[in-house]
Amino acid sequence: MLRDLFRLSLRNIRHRGLRSWLTVIGILIGTAAVVALISIGQGLQRSVARQVERIMGYNTILVTSGGLNLGQRIRLDIETIRAIPGVRSAIAVRTETAYVEGPNGKGFLAVLGYDPAMEEFVAEMNLRVAAGRPLSERGEVLLGSRAAQALGAQVGNDVVIEGRRFTVVGILEAQRAGGFATGGLTITDLLVIPLTELRELFPGPELVQYAVIRLEEQASVAEVRERIRDHLRTVGERNASLTDFEDLTRNIQSVIRGVQAFLAGIAGIALLVGGVGVMNTMYTAVLERTREIGILKAVGAKDIHVLLLFLFESGLMGLAGGALGMLMGFGLAWVATAVVSRMFQTQGSFSPVLSLALVFGALFFSFMVGAVAGIFPAYRAARLPPVEALRYE
Amino acid sequence: MNSALVELQRVTKIYRLGEVEVPALRGVDLRVEPGHFLALMGPSGSGKSTLLHILGLLDRPTSGQVLWNGHDVSKLNGKKLAELRGRHIGFVFQMFNLIPNLTALENVELPLVFLGVPARKRRKRAEEVLARLGLSERMHHRPTQLSGGQQQRVALARALVTDPALIIADEPTGNLDSATGREILGLFSGLNREGRTVVLATHDPEAAEVAKVRLRLRDGLIVEVF
Repeated sequence: MLRDLFRLSLRNIRHRGLRSWLTVIGILIGTAAVVALISIGQGLQRSVARQVERIMGYNTILVTSGGLNLGQRIRLDIETIRAIPGVRSAIAVRTETAYVEGPNGKGFLAVLGYDPAMEEFVAEMNLRVAAGRPLSERGEVLLGSRAAQALGAQVGNDVVIEGRRFTVVGILEAQRAGGFATGGLTITDLLVIPLTELRELFPGPELVQYAVIRLEEQASVAEVRERIRDHLRTVGERNASLTDFEDLTRNIQSVIRGVQAFLAGIAGIALLVGGVGVMNTMYTAVLERTREIGILKAVGAKDIHVLLLFLFESGLMGLAGGALGMLMGFGLAWVATAVVSRMFQTQGSFSPVLSLALVFGALFFSFMVGAVAGIFPAYRAARLPPVEALRYE
Repeated sequence: MNSALVELQRVTKIYRLGEVEVPALRGVDLRVEPGHFLALMGPSGSGKSTLLHILGLLDRPTSGQVLWNGHDVSKLNGKKLAELRGRHIGFVFQMFNLIPNLTALENVELPLVFLGVPARKRRKRAEEVLARLGLSERMHHRPTQLSGGQQQRVALARALVTDPALIIADEPTGNLDSATGREILGLFSGLNREGRTVVLATHDPEAAEVAKVRLRLRDGLIVEVF
C-alpha cells in the first residue's frame, strides 16, 4: 500500500509539471549552496592537513614562546634535547641583533646562527640560496637579499659584524611567501653566520626564538613532549609552549570548520526558504485537490493514507531538489576552486571533496525539509471531513 | 427485526453556518434491508444528500443512531468508519468523481489499494469488473478521454470492485443525457436483481421508477413512501 501511495504521489508531482519544478528549484538552490560550501571546506581541510604534514611531518614538535610577544625568547639547550630518546634531530633558531658594517651601508640587523643540523630543515627555514653557495666554514656569511641591499654588499665582499670580519659567500631569497621558520623575521632581512660564531659574538645564556624537534618514527609524541617539558622546567623556562602536528592541524581545522559552519548556516537559510516554497505548493495542492481527498475517503482511504500521500509528495520534491542541488553544488564547487586556483596560481593545491556523509546528509536533509514543510498541509488534508471535501468546488 | 443492513433511528443533522443553524434532517427513521432498492426523492435542500451521506457512513448524525448490521456506528471514529466504507459500501456520484491523474483501471483499483489487496489480485479483479460493464477497451484511458456515460460506468465499477453490501448513488444520472441515464439506471436495476442493495437519490421521477420503493423527503423529513 505504501508503494501505491508513493506512486500516486509521484504521479501528482509530475501532473503539476512546471509548478513542481519551480518548487524543486527552491530546494535545489539551497542544497547547491550548502553542498558547494561544505565540499569546498572539506577540500580545504584536507589540503591543509596535507600541507602541514608535508611541512612538519607527523613526528615534529615545535617549541615556541608561549607569550603573545613574538620577540620573547626561550631558554633551552638544544644538545640536551637532541639527547632525549626518540628525538631524531633538533634545531634551535637563534637570532641576535648586531651592528653590521658593509661596503656601502651600516646598521643594526638581525643575525641568525646557522647550525649544520639545519640542512635537514631547509624547507621549514624557507631558505634558498639565490646566488653564491651555502655556508661551509667559519668566517663566512649569507646575506638576505634586502640586507645585502642595505649594506651594499655582493658575493665576495666583506662585512663586519660586531667587529668581526666575514666574507659574503651567498645571497638568500625566500623560497616562497610566508613560512613560519624565521621567528617573526623575514628571511630576506637576515644575515646568516655559523651558530658557533654567533655564540662567540654573543656569549651568555643561550636564548632562542624557537626550536624544531623531529622524532623517530616509532617514538611516542606524548613521551617526548614530557621529556622536553622536563628539560624546560630544569632550565627554568616557563613560557615555552609545545605544539605538535596534531595540535597545529586541529587549530587550523577548527578555524576552517567554524568559517564553514557559518557559511553553510547562511546557505541553510536558502534551503529554509525552499522549504517555505514547498509548504506553499502543498497548501495550494491540498486546496486544489480537496474534492479528490473527499473521493479517496469515500472509497475507504483513512486519514493516515491521505497524510502519507501528501507527505510523500512534499518529501519527494525535497529529495529531487536535494539530489539535483547536490550535483549542481559539487559542480559549482569544482568550478569555483578551479577559478580561484588559477587566479592565485596555486593550481592543483586543493579540490572540493564530496564525502559519502555529505551525499547522504544532503539527500536526507533535503528530504526532511520537504517532508517537514509538508506536515501542516498534509495534516490539514488528512483531517478534512469527507462530506465537506466532496462538496468542495 | 435485526435484519436491516442499515437502520437510522431519529436521526437529525444540523449544519452550522456561522451563527445560523440549518437543520438538514429533523428526525428520520429508516430501515434499509438487504436486497432493497430505494430511491430518495425531493427538491434540492430536502436532505437527500445528507441522508445518503449518513447511510453511507461518510457523515455522522447530530443526534439519533445509525445501526450497521445491528451495531451502533454513530460514535465510531473516522478510521473505523473508513474501514467499513471501504469494505462494504460503494459510492457513485453525480460528478463521477474519478481521480483525473489515474486511468480507468487505476481508479477502479483504488478502493482495493486501501484495503491492502495485493497488486496482481487487485488488477485482475478491477479488469473483471470493468469487462462486465463493457469497458475492457477503455481501461487504460484517463477520465478526460472518456464520455460521460463511460465515466459513470467506471465510477460504478469502482463502487462494485470491493463487492460491497450497499451501493449508494447520489444523482447518478444528473450529468448524463437521458439515453445514457437510462442505460446507467438499467445497470443499477440489474445489480439489484442480482441481490445487491441500492439506495439512490434523484429528483428525476423517471429515474426513481427503477427503484422498488420511493421515499419523498421534504424539509428534512420523510413525508411519503410509495
